[in-house]
Amino acid sequence: MRPRKLLFTAFVMAVTLLAAACGNSTTTTTTTAETGPLTIWLMNGSAPQSVVDGVNADFKAKHPNVTVNVEIQQWSDVTTKLDTAFAGTTPPDIMELGNTLVAKYAASGALQDITAKKSAYENSGTWLQSLTDSCTLSGKLYCVPYYAGSRAIIYRTDMFANAGITKPPTSMDELMTDGQTLMAKYGSDPNFSALYFPGKYWYAAAPFVWDFGGDIATQSGSKWTGALNSSQAQQGLTEVNNLVSKLSRADKTGDELKQDQAFAQGHIAMIIANGWEVGVITDPKSGDPTLQAKLGAFPIPSHNAGQTAPVFLGGSDLGIAAHSKSPALAQEWLQLLAGTKYQSQMVTVGGVIPNTTTLASLSSGLPAVFAKAATNSRFTPNSPNWANVESANVLQDMLVSIFTGKSSIPTATSSASDQITQILNS
Amino acid sequence: MSRRTFARTLYDGVGIVVFIVMMFPIYWMVSTAFKPGREILALTPVWIPLRPTLDNFRTAMNVPYFWNDVVNSVVVVLTVVALSIVLAFLAAVSVARFGFRGRTPFIVMIIVVQMVPLNALVIPIYLLLDQVGQVDSLLGVIAYYLAFVLPFMIWTLRGFIANVPVDLEEAAMVDGASRVVAFMRIVFPLVAPGLVATGIFGFIQAWNEFIIAYVLLSSSSKQTLTIWLTSFTTQHGTDWGGLMAGATLTALPVVILFLLVQRHIVGGLTAGAVKG
Amino acid sequence: MEAAIRAEARTTTVATDIEPAPRHRRVPRINLLPYALIAPAVLVLAGVLGYPLGMLGWLSTQHYGLRELFQHQGEFVGLQNFVTLVGDPEFRHVLQISLVFTAVNVGLSMLFAMLIALLLERVSSAIRILLSSGLVFVWATPVIPAINLWQWMFDYEFGVVNWLLTRFGAGNYIHHNWFENPFQGFIVVTVIVVWGAIPFLALMLYAGLTQVPRELVEAAEIDGARPWQVFTLITVPILRPLFVILFSLSTIWDFQVFNQVWVLLSQRPSKDYFLISVYSFQESFRVSQYGLGSAAAVVMVAILAAVSVFYIRQTVRLTTEDAR
Repeated sequence: MRPRKLLFTAFVMAVTLLAAACGNSTTTTTTTAETGPLTIWLMNGSAPQSVVDGVNADFKAKHPNVTVNVEIQQWSDVTTKLDTAFAGTTPPDIMELGNTLVAKYAASGALQDITAKKSAYENSGTWLQSLTDSCTLSGKLYCVPYYAGSRAIIYRTDMFANAGITKPPTSMDELMTDGQTLMAKYGSDPNFSALYFPGKYWYAAAPFVWDFGGDIATQSGSKWTGALNSSQAQQGLTEVNNLVSKLSRADKTGDELKQDQAFAQGHIAMIIANGWEVGVITDPKSGDPTLQAKLGAFPIPSHNAGQTAPVFLGGSDLGIAAHSKSPALAQEWLQLLAGTKYQSQMVTVGGVIPNTTTLASLSSGLPAVFAKAATNSRFTPNSPNWANVESANVLQDMLVSIFTGKSSIPTATSSASDQITQILNS
Repeated sequence: MSRRTFARTLYDGVGIVVFIVMMFPIYWMVSTAFKPGREILALTPVWIPLRPTLDNFRTAMNVPYFWNDVVNSVVVVLTVVALSIVLAFLAAVSVARFGFRGRTPFIVMIIVVQMVPLNALVIPIYLLLDQVGQVDSLLGVIAYYLAFVLPFMIWTLRGFIANVPVDLEEAAMVDGASRVVAFMRIVFPLVAPGLVATGIFGFIQAWNEFIIAYVLLSSSSKQTLTIWLTSFTTQHGTDWGGLMAGATLTALPVVILFLLVQRHIVGGLTAGAVKG
Repeated sequence: MEAAIRAEARTTTVATDIEPAPRHRRVPRINLLPYALIAPAVLVLAGVLGYPLGMLGWLSTQHYGLRELFQHQGEFVGLQNFVTLVGDPEFRHVLQISLVFTAVNVGLSMLFAMLIALLLERVSSAIRILLSSGLVFVWATPVIPAINLWQWMFDYEFGVVNWLLTRFGAGNYIHHNWFENPFQGFIVVTVIVVWGAIPFLALMLYAGLTQVPRELVEAAEIDGARPWQVFTLITVPILRPLFVILFSLSTIWDFQVFNQVWVLLSQRPSKDYFLISVYSFQESFRVSQYGLGSAAAVVMVAILAAVSVFYIRQTVRLTTEDAR
C-alpha cells in the first residue's frame, strides 16, 4: 500500500510545484540589442525556395551576425503543433498562419499587437482588405498579410467549343444553360460532370450565398447571429443545389481535395477552383500536361448579368509571437517578405495573389483571372470562435444534407444558423 | 500418408490465399510507388504498372533534409531499442525472480500506464520538456519513446524469464558459480530470443511513431521519417506516388531486419509465450 | 476420455518452482538487488511520465481553453468537466459506440489471428516463411500512410475496392461513398484495424501453439479425439495465460483507436464517427477545451482499468506464484 501512496504523493507534489512554476513565468522583454537567433515557421509549399533564400540574403546583409532559421512545417495537425509551441517558452518568432486561424490565436494572446507598427510595412495602405480583416481583432492588428488565393471557374475550352458554347457564361442563368448543353453532349459518360462540385465544398458554395445578399453570420456589438437562414442565403443555396443536382456527378458527401486529379482524368468540363489548381491539373506527375492548352478560366458569375459573385479569399498571414525574444528583428524580416520586391516574386514565381492590390497586375494568363476575381472578395466571420465552427464542420454538414436531400434547405439552414450562433457566442 | 500430404497441400493453398488477401494493400502500395501519376489516378485500376518508373522514389528522396530524417530516425530508434532492452530486461528479472514490497504496485503501474491515450499527454509532455529545455531535441523524443515501450517490454520479458525454471540456475550455483554468473550463463541464452522479439516490437513502435515527434521536433534538421511522410500531403492535395514510395521505403528496413532475425524470434516467442 | 485429457493439460501449466536449498551465505535482511534492478526503469517511467500523468489528472479538473494554455493559468472547476461529460447525451453515445467498436474489433482480431496461427502450424515451411514475412510487412508498414492507402482503395471514384466489388457482381459500387452511412464507414474502419492487428496477434499465438507438447496432442488423437476437441480441451487451457494477455492488450489498443478514424476521414470526422479518443482529441485540439478533453481521457483510462480489473488481479496472482 505505502509505495503506491508515496508515488501518488510524489505526483501531486510534482504537479503542484510545476504548476506554480508555470504560473510564475513572465515574459522577458529585453531592452538590450537583439541578437537572435530568429526562428521562422513557414508552411510546406507556401513560398518558393528562391523567395526564402532572397529574403534571408537581404536580411543577412543588414544583420550579418544574426542566425536565421526558416523551418518548414507540415499542414497535417498544424493546430496541435501551434498550440504546444505557443504554450511553451520557445515559440518561433514568426509563423505563417492560415487566415481563418488568426483570430483564434490573436484572441488568446499568442500574437503580438503590431497596430502601431503598421506603417513600417511597405504597401500597408493597399493591403488586400480581406486579408487585413483576417488580421484585425477588436480594431487591433495582429499579423501581416502574406498571400492570397481566390476561386474562379476553370473550364475545358475544347469541351465548350465542341458543345457550341462560344464564350464563358456571364450570369448564373447562363452558367446553368451552358452546363446543361454540356451534359447533353457528354453526359452519357457516367463519369462526366459539367460542373464537378463535391458536397462538402463550402468555399465554392459561399459565393452563391453572398451574391444574393446573404451571409454566414452578422455581428451587432459583440453578439453574433447565424444568418444562413435568411431568405437571401436560402436563395443562394437553392441556386447551388440546382446546379449541383443537374450538372455534377461528384461525391455529394465528399470534399474537394482530389478534384484536380479527377479533372485531369478528362471527364469534367468545369470546376470551381483556386488559381494554383491549374498547376496541379497540368502537373506531369499526377495530372495531365496536355491539358495546359485546353484550359481557361472565368470568374463565378453573379445572378446579375455582367457582374461577378464575391469569392472567399483564402490565404495566409504572418504573425510575430507575443513572447518572441527578437520582435524588432522579426519585424525587419517580415518587412522584407511582405514588401514589394518579394511579393512580386510570390506572384511571378509562386503564382499566388500578392498581399497588395498594387501588384495584382503582375499576374498574367490564367492567374490574372483569379487575381481579378480576388478584387471582389469576402471573408468568414472574424470571430475568435470561427475556427471552432470550422472544426465542428457545421457548414460542410449543412451542405451535404441539402445536396443529398436529407434535409430541406429551410431546415438545414436554420439548424446550421443556430449552431453557428451558439458556437460564435460561446 | 497421402491423406496427410493432401491436407498439407490444402492448407498451403489456404495459406497462399490468406497471404494474398493480407498483402493486397501492401502490393497496392508498392505498385503505386512505381506507377506514374496518370496510372495511379486512372478510373480503371491499373494492376501492373504499364510504365514503371522510379520517379516517385527519386522525388521522395529529394525532399530537403530527407537524409537528415533518416539519420535522426535511425539514431532515435537504435538508442531506444538498446536502452529499452537493457532497462526492461533488468526490471523483468527483478519482477520475475524476486518477491519484494512494491512489486505489486510496480506491476499494476506498468499495466495501467499502457491504458493512457497518448494524444491526451501531448501537451503535458511538451510543457515538461519545455521546462527542461528539451523541446526540439532528439533526447526528449528518445526519453518518451523509451517510456512508451518499456511497460510492454518489461511485461513480455517477465514471461520469458519466469518460464526458465529456477532449478537450472540453482544447479549452476551448486557447481560453484556465483549468482550473477549462473544467471548469465544459463538464463540469458534462453531468453535472448525473447529479447530479440521485444526488440523488434520496440523498433517498430519507435520507428513509426508520429504525434510526439511531430509536436516536439521543429527544426528541419531534427525531424524524423514519420514527419517526412506527412510532407506529401499539402493544401494542394496528396502526392500519392511520392507518399507510397515513402511508405515503402520506411517499411523496408523493418522487414529486412525481421528476415535476418526471424529464425531466432520464433524460437524465442515460443519459450516465453505459454506461461504468460 | 475428456477428463483424462484435461488432467494431462493441467499438469503442463503447473509452475515448476521448487523451494531452493537453504544457502549457507549470510543474506542481508532486506535484499536491495530487486530494487536496484527496477530502479532504472522506474526512474525513466516516473521521471518522464510522472508529471504528464499528474498534469492530465489536474487538467481534467480545470476549465482550460487556449487563453488559459498560453497564460498557464487555469480555472479550477472541480468535477464539473466530468459532470458535463456524463450529462451529455452525445458523450454517452460516443461511449456506447466505442464499447461496441472495441468488442467487435477485439473479437474479430483474435478470431482471425487464431485461425491464421493454426494455419501457420499446418503449412509447409516455405509457405510459413512467406506468410509470416507478409504478416511482418503489414506490421512494419507505417500506420498513417497505410490508412491513407486504405482510404484510396475505398475512394468514391478511384477506389480499387469499389471497382473489384462491382466487377465481381456484388452490386454497383462505382461512385459509392463508404462514409455517408456511419455503419458502412465503421466497417471500413474495422477492416483497417483488424488488418493491422492480425500480424502481431497471429505471430504470438503461433508461437504459443508451438509450445503445446506434441505428445499430449498425439496421445489425444490416438484416443480418438477430433481436431475440435484437441483444440478446446488441450490447446485452449494451455494457452490460457497467453489468451488473457493478448485479449487485454487488444482491448486496450482497440479502445484507444484514433488514427484509423481521424486520418481515414481526412481529419474531419462527423460526430457519428466519434470514438472516445477522437472525442477527446477534438475537444482538446480542435475546439481548444483542454480541460474537457483531458476529462474524457481520464474516463477512458477509468473504463479500461475497470474492464481489466479481472485481468490485473489474475496476472498479479500468476506472477506471485512465480516469484519466491
